Amino acid sequence: MPTATPNAPTSSRSRTVRFAIVRCDGPGKPERTELFDVPVEPGANIISCLQWIAANPVTIEGVRTTPPTWDSGCLEEVCGSCTMNINGRVRQACSALIDAVSPSTTPPGPGGATITLEPMRKFPVVRDLCVDRARFFRNLERIKAWVPVDGTYSLGAGPTESPDHQATRYALSTCMTCGCCLEACPQFLREDKPEAWDTSFVGAAVISQAVLFNDHPTGATLKPQRLDVLSGPGGVNDCGNSQNCVKVCPKEIPLTESIGAAGRQVTVHAVKKFFSGR
Amino acid sequence: MSETAHEAPAKQQPFMQRHHFLLRRLHSLTGVMPIGVFLINHLLTNSSVVWGMIDPKAGKTGHGGVATFQHEVDFIHSLPYLIIIEIFGLWLPIAFHSVLGVYYATTGRANNARYPFQDNWRYTLQRVSGYVGVLFIFYHVATLRWGWTFLVPGGTRWSAEYAASTLAQTLRGHASGLTLAGVGVSLFYMAGVSLLVFHLANGLWTAAITWGLTVSRQAQRRWGYACAGLGAALMAMAWSAVIGFATLDPVRARLVEESLRSAHRAEPALTAAPDAAPRRP
Repeated sequence: MPTATPNAPTSSRSRTVRFAIVRCDGPGKPERTELFDVPVEPGANIISCLQWIAANPVTIEGVRTTPPTWDSGCLEEVCGSCTMNINGRVRQACSALIDAVSPSTTPPGPGGATITLEPMRKFPVVRDLCVDRARFFRNLERIKAWVPVDGTYSLGAGPTESPDHQATRYALSTCMTCGCCLEACPQFLREDKPEAWDTSFVGAAVISQAVLFNDHPTGATLKPQRLDVLSGPGGVNDCGNSQNCVKVCPKEIPLTESIGAAGRQVTVHAVKKFFSGR
Repeated sequence: MSETAHEAPAKQQPFMQRHHFLLRRLHSLTGVMPIGVFLINHLLTNSSVVWGMIDPKAGKTGHGGVATFQHEVDFIHSLPYLIIIEIFGLWLPIAFHSVLGVYYATTGRANNARYPFQDNWRYTLQRVSGYVGVLFIFYHVATLRWGWTFLVPGGTRWSAEYAASTLAQTLRGHASGLTLAGVGVSLFYMAGVSLLVFHLANGLWTAAITWGLTVSRQAQRRWGYACAGLGAALMAMAWSAVIGFATLDPVRARLVEESLRSAHRAEPALTAAPDAAPRRP
């Protein structure tokens, strides 16, 4: 029963939508596309349709196949794990409502409602729509995306925080490591060799996290080390300013402002090092 | 011995990685200075064939544009140690910016089909304009400065003494009129200068983010308007220069230049190609 809420479905009748899913049985295995016709209820999202397909893994040719595999967690666009390419655009599957992604009410077939699902292309596929984002987490380690407070004794109360400063940093802290910015970035390319990760572009999210923790009164202790990484190979200088990151970010994080801020910090860092470094 | 592997010095990073920051920022800096500053001057000089026409002083010579352009070229050629300025102020920085630029461009993969945003199109066009720009600048400098006349339809050799007439003849393909090859050269010039003007204007916009001058979205938008304004002004100069020379009659221009020369000297130097020799009345 549709109600007058912002998320009210645009259609009130159930209909059939065709799903084209890019399948892959494991790392290094060949890809194939399988088609499924799914009865879609009003308000359904990609995850609920994937659940239906997993329960009824029969292609439109009537061939029984394996249930598709995908990652998901919170189902409210906060964890970032269900990120995938939906109709060619990277986004979270949980917040992708079928009525918005494919509003056509034409039955499946030529010109009918079709939704393509493919895994993120910048990370190695584990199986079907699951990818391994280990490189992303490795890059967060490289730039030390944390506040160093671990120790053997109490450090006492932290520094005072102004509401203005808190508001600026809060926006950056909403990053959920989903990888949309990396998937849409023309400078962030897939790299499966872990030994090459430390010299490959870190991408917008990681630069933004470095800015977030550099801006933290206690986190700033590690600022020179973060800026050493950001000024080196794969750092902020590798950004090509296509600004796709900020447009695809589901959390609307001002990633291009973080990149500008990182550019400024790295410039100042380099001048300081030139005149007073060893 | 088993320790040898441990005693061996740690493998040094490749050159490009060791000097990553310096090379990246030098690449950005050379694009603005000297190359960008030179491009602005160069377009100002070359569009004088059009804006010189409204100079009342130069207008008395018969074609103000030809006279003003010759005056500008004479000034440049009067600079001391011109070859040093050219090598270290232009050729080496342009070669450095080009080689590194092509290398950096190969580190990206354009994805405009999936993400057709305006900014993303400028990202791709910045790289395409760089590739075409390198070819265009090489052709431009090789034919007009280094005298590789075998690349010029009609074989015209550009002369600083008869700057406007020999340049017009280079673009038009022949002294007597526009040939088909001349149309090709003129169109290549039109495309080359347009892409390079875009490359500079867009490069100034991205350089401000790279160096951290523009951080906020509003600052980036404001600086974007400034770059677009500069780009539009430079585009107007670039187009007027190419169209001005491609439509200039070399024979008539030569007569203007001869009269300028005879006003200064008794015997004008005849260094231009025979094609451009004027038929004196």
